[in-house]
Amino acid sequence: MKIRIFGIVLLAIALFSTVSAQNRTDVYAVTNARIVTVSGAVIERGTVVVRDGLIESVGADAKIPADARVLDGTGLTVYPGFIDALTSLGIQTPARPQTPGQPQQQNQQPQSNSNYPNGLQPEKTAVEDLRGGDAQFETPRNAGFTTVLTVGNTGIFNGQSAIINLGGESVSAMVVKSPFAQHFSFRNLGITYPASLLGTFSAFRQMLLDAKRLQELQKQYAANPRGMKRPEDDKSLEALFPVINGTMPIVFNANLEREINRSLDLAKEFNLKAIIAGGQEAWKVADRLKSQNVPVLLSMNFPKRTAASSPDADPESLATLRFRAETPKGAAILSQKGVKFAFQSGGMTNLNDFFSNALKATENGLSKDAAIRAMTLDAAEIFGIENRTGSIEPGKIANLTVIRGDVFAKERTVTHVFVDGRLFEMKEKPRTPTTNSGGTTPSTRALAVGGTWNITLEVPGQTIPGTLNLVQQDTTLTGTMSTALTGSSPIKDGKVTAEGFSFSVSVNAGGTNLDLAFNGKVSGNQVSGTVDTPQGVISFTGTKNP
Amino acid sequence: MKKAIVLFLIISMSLILPNFSLAQSKTEILIRNATVLTAVKGNLENTDILIQNGKIAKIGKNLKAAANAQIIDATGKFVSPGIIDAHSHTMLDAINEGSFSVTSMTQIQDVLDPTDISIYRALAGGVTTGNLLHGSANPIGGQNSTVKFKWGKPVGDYLVNDAPPGIKFALGENVKRSNFPPQPGQPTRYPRTRMGTMEVIRDAFIRAREYKQSWDDFKNGKTKVQPRTDVELQPIVEILEGKRLVHAHGYRSDEHLNLLRLAEEFGVRIATLQHGLEAYKIAPEIAKHGAGVSIFVDFWSYKLEAYDTIPHNAYILWKNGVNVSINSDSDERMRRLNIDAAKVMRYGGVPEEEALKMITLNPAKQLGIDKRTGSIEVGKDADLVIWTAHPFSIYSRVETTFIDGEIFFDRTKDAQMRVEMQKERENLEKMEVNRAPGSGGTQPRVPSERRKADRDDAEDGDGGNQ
Repeated sequence: MKIRIFGIVLLAIALFSTVSAQNRTDVYAVTNARIVTVSGAVIERGTVVVRDGLIESVGADAKIPADARVLDGTGLTVYPGFIDALTSLGIQTPARPQTPGQPQQQNQQPQSNSNYPNGLQPEKTAVEDLRGGDAQFETPRNAGFTTVLTVGNTGIFNGQSAIINLGGESVSAMVVKSPFAQHFSFRNLGITYPASLLGTFSAFRQMLLDAKRLQELQKQYAANPRGMKRPEDDKSLEALFPVINGTMPIVFNANLEREINRSLDLAKEFNLKAIIAGGQEAWKVADRLKSQNVPVLLSMNFPKRTAASSPDADPESLATLRFRAETPKGAAILSQKGVKFAFQSGGMTNLNDFFSNALKATENGLSKDAAIRAMTLDAAEIFGIENRTGSIEPGKIANLTVIRGDVFAKERTVTHVFVDGRLFEMKEKPRTPTTNSGGTTPSTRALAVGGTWNITLEVPGQTIPGTLNLVQQDTTLTGTMSTALTGSSPIKDGKVTAEGFSFSVSVNAGGTNLDLAFNGKVSGNQVSGTVDTPQGVISFTGTKNP
Repeated sequence: MKKAIVLFLIISMSLILPNFSLAQSKTEILIRNATVLTAVKGNLENTDILIQNGKIAKIGKNLKAAANAQIIDATGKFVSPGIIDAHSHTMLDAINEGSFSVTSMTQIQDVLDPTDISIYRALAGGVTTGNLLHGSANPIGGQNSTVKFKWGKPVGDYLVNDAPPGIKFALGENVKRSNFPPQPGQPTRYPRTRMGTMEVIRDAFIRAREYKQSWDDFKNGKTKVQPRTDVELQPIVEILEGKRLVHAHGYRSDEHLNLLRLAEEFGVRIATLQHGLEAYKIAPEIAKHGAGVSIFVDFWSYKLEAYDTIPHNAYILWKNGVNVSINSDSDERMRRLNIDAAKVMRYGGVPEEEALKMITLNPAKQLGIDKRTGSIEVGKDADLVIWTAHPFSIYSRVETTFIDGEIFFDRTKDAQMRVEMQKERENLEKMEVNRAPGSGGTQPRVPSERRKADRDDAEDGDGGNQ
C-alpha cells in the first residue's frame, strides 16, 4: 500500500517536473548567433544560455538545455548589454523648496536638516530618489542599454550615484552598486553663497578641510571622550569621509580644458580619486589624465550646430567651429594615450546619436573594439563591477543586447534585450533603407520632438510654468514633466504622433494625485495643445530649448 | 622663406593652439639699433638689447650675438619695458563673489581662463603683466593673481610665482550696493553704509587676530583640540602679518583716509589705493602711510563718488612722493595704457620718464615684482615691447611683445595668421557638423545695438557674478 502510494507520488512528481520544466520562463538559449564577448575572441556562430538571471554558458559548442526557450539568432549579433556611463534615469526629484517671499505651500516636504544649503549636501544619494518600474526605462532599453550610472543633476554636490540595471519593479531589484561615487558640478547657488564660481571652489575646499578635521576629532573622541568637547554629528561632512580617504571616487563634471585642469588640480590638492565626466576637451589634457590615473566618462553628445542660418547673423567663433570639428577625434586620442574611458549619453535626447557618434569616433581613429569596450567592459571596470558584468562570460549577470546588423551600422535594429536575465523583446520594424542616422524611414519619418520644452499650463486664474524633458526613440517617448508645484514626474505612454506628441503623467499637487493626459501639436520649436485633467481640459503652450 | 615654411607647418600642426611661440627662450635674441626707454636711466638712442635665457643680458651699442641668434632690426623703433596693468579682471570666469561681505576665502587663481582673446589683444597693446583682482562687491574680496600674459601656454605658466600674494578690499558705492537694485529673493547684505564697511573690515581683522591666537595657543600646547582651518581668516591673518598686499578700491578721500587709519591701528600698511580719484586731496597722508595709488587718468563722473577728480591727480600725488601707477580696470582701456601715461605729461607736467614709470616700474613696485621686471636693466626679465614710434605718440603701434624673452605678439605674424585662419574658417564652415540644420533650428545671434567689450567694474555692474 505504502509503496503504491509512494510510486504514484513519484510519478506525479516526475510528471509535474516535466510539465513545469517546459513552462520555465527564466531559461533562454540564443542560438546560431554571432557573439561579441568583449572579454575574449568573437564567436562567429554560437550559443548563449541564460538561466535565472545569469549567463550559464557561452560558446560555439555550448549545449542548449532542454528547458530553455530557444531564440534563433541567425543573422543576429549578441553583445554584452550596453552601459550608459552617466545619466539621471529613474531619479524623481521632489518639489523644489520655495524661495523666500512666496507663500508657504501646504504639505511641503520637510527641508533637510543639514547644516549646508541645498546643493551642498553630499549625503544625498541617487538611490533614495529612485523609483522602481520597467516602463520608465523603455526608451534606453530599446536602444540596447541594460545598465546605467544614475545620479541627480542639481546642485554643486549632485550626490552619490548608483549603478542600476534597467529593469525591475522595485529599486532593490535594480541596484547593482550603490553608492558608486560622489558627483560634483562647477555651479553656484545663485543668490546665496557660493554665488559665483569663485565661491564654489572655496566652499568645496572648506567642506573638505572641515570633513578631514571632523574625522580626526571623531577618532580622538572615540579613543577618549573625557575632557574633550563632543565633535558634531554632521552628516554632510561625514558623507565626504570616503571621498577624502580615497575609498569613494569623486566625479567632476568638466568639459572644457580649463575645467578639467581645475578638477585635476583639486584632486591633487586633496589627494582624491577623481573621474572626469563629460570630457569633451579631455583629449587636450590626455597626458595629465594618464599620469594622474584619472578615467573619463566621455560624453557622446557631440556638439553640433543648432542655430538656423540668417544673413544678419554674427559669424560663429573659430573656437566654436574647431570645437565641433575636433570633438569626434577625442576618443581616439584618449585611447592612444592610454587614458581609460567609457561612453555616456551626455544628456542627449535622441539615443540614436549615441551610436552614430560612436561610429563617428571609430571613423576618426578609434578602433571598433575600443568603442565597444567603452560601452561595456571598460565602463564596468571604471565602476568596479567588471567581475559581475560588462562581458559575456559564464557566471556573469545576464545583461545582453541582441542586434540585427552591426552595432555601429546605420541600419541596425535591437531585437532582444536581456536585463538580469529577463527578456525584453523589441518589435522589429520592416527593414527599409534609411536616409539619416536616426534610423527612421522616409515614409514614416517621425517628428523630432525630443528635447527640453519650456511649457506654460493655462490653469484658470494662473499660468503655471513647467519643463518637459522628452527622450525620443523612434516614435516612443519617455522622460519627465516638472513644475515647481508638483516636482518632477515620469511620463507614461509617450508617443510621437503625426502632429506632435502625447503622453500621460501622474502628478502630486499639494497632496492630491492627479492623472493628466497631454496632447500637443508641434510646429518648428513651438508646441501647443491640451491637457485632460480630472477637473476638465486646460491648454498648454511651449518652446523647445536649443 | 624657410621661416614661412616652418610657420606653415606649425600652423597646420597646431590648429587648436591660440598662438605659437616663435622664439624659444633658450635661444638668443638681439634687438638692434632702437631708442631704448629704460624707465630708470633715461632714453638710450641707437642701442642694442641682447636677450639670453629670458633675461636682459646686455644693453649697449653694437652688441655681438651668437651665430644662431634671432636678429631684430629695430632701427627707427622704440623699445620700452612691458606695460604692467595694476588693476584688471581679464581672463576670469568669475569676478565677484558677492554673497558675503567678506569673501577672502576665494582665489582668482581658481577661475583663470587662458583662452580669453582679451589676453592677446592686451599683448597687442604692449601689456605683459597684470594684477588680476576680485571685483568690488565686498569690503573684503578675494585673493588676487599676478600674471604674465603668456598667450598659448598652460595657465600655470601665467602665474608669477614669486610675486607676493595680494587681496582686494573695496569701499564706497559698489560695496554698499548704492547703484544696484536688489534682485527678487536676494537677501539684503550688510553693510549698506560707509561706516558699516569700516566695521566689517575692523571686525574681520579682530576675528583674524583671534583665529591666529587660537592656533598659537594650540601650537604652544595651551589647547588640545586643533582649531578649524578657516580659509576665510587665513588670508586676513597674512594681512596682519604683513605678508599679503592689500589693494583697496575706493574713490573718496575720506573713505581712503579712514582705511589708512584703521590699517595703522592694526599695524598694517595698505599696499595700494585703487582708483583713488580723490587721492590728490590727501597726498601727504598717503605718502606718510606709504601706500601706492593706482588711478584712471581721465575716466570719471560715471557715478557720484567718481565725480570730484582732476587730471592733475597723478602729478600732485607724484610731487608728494606717492608711488603712482595708471591702471585700466578694463579690457578695452588696457590696450591704450601707453596713451593714458602720456596724458599726465600734459596735466601738471610729469616728466617723461616718470610718466613711463607709471605704467612700468611703479606698478611693478606696487605688486612687489620690481626686482625682476618693470624696467630695462641688465639681469631683469626680458619683458619688452617694440613700438613703431614713441609709445606716448598717438601714432605708435606695437610691433613685438616679449615676455621672459619669448615673443607673444608679432604684428607681421599676426597679419599672416589672419590669412591662415580665414582659410581654416572656410574649411571648417563647410563641414557638415558646422552647417546650419536643414529645417527648424534656433534663432542665431544677430548683432545687437550695443556691445560690451570690457569688464569695467565701474560701469553698470561691478563685473557681476559671472
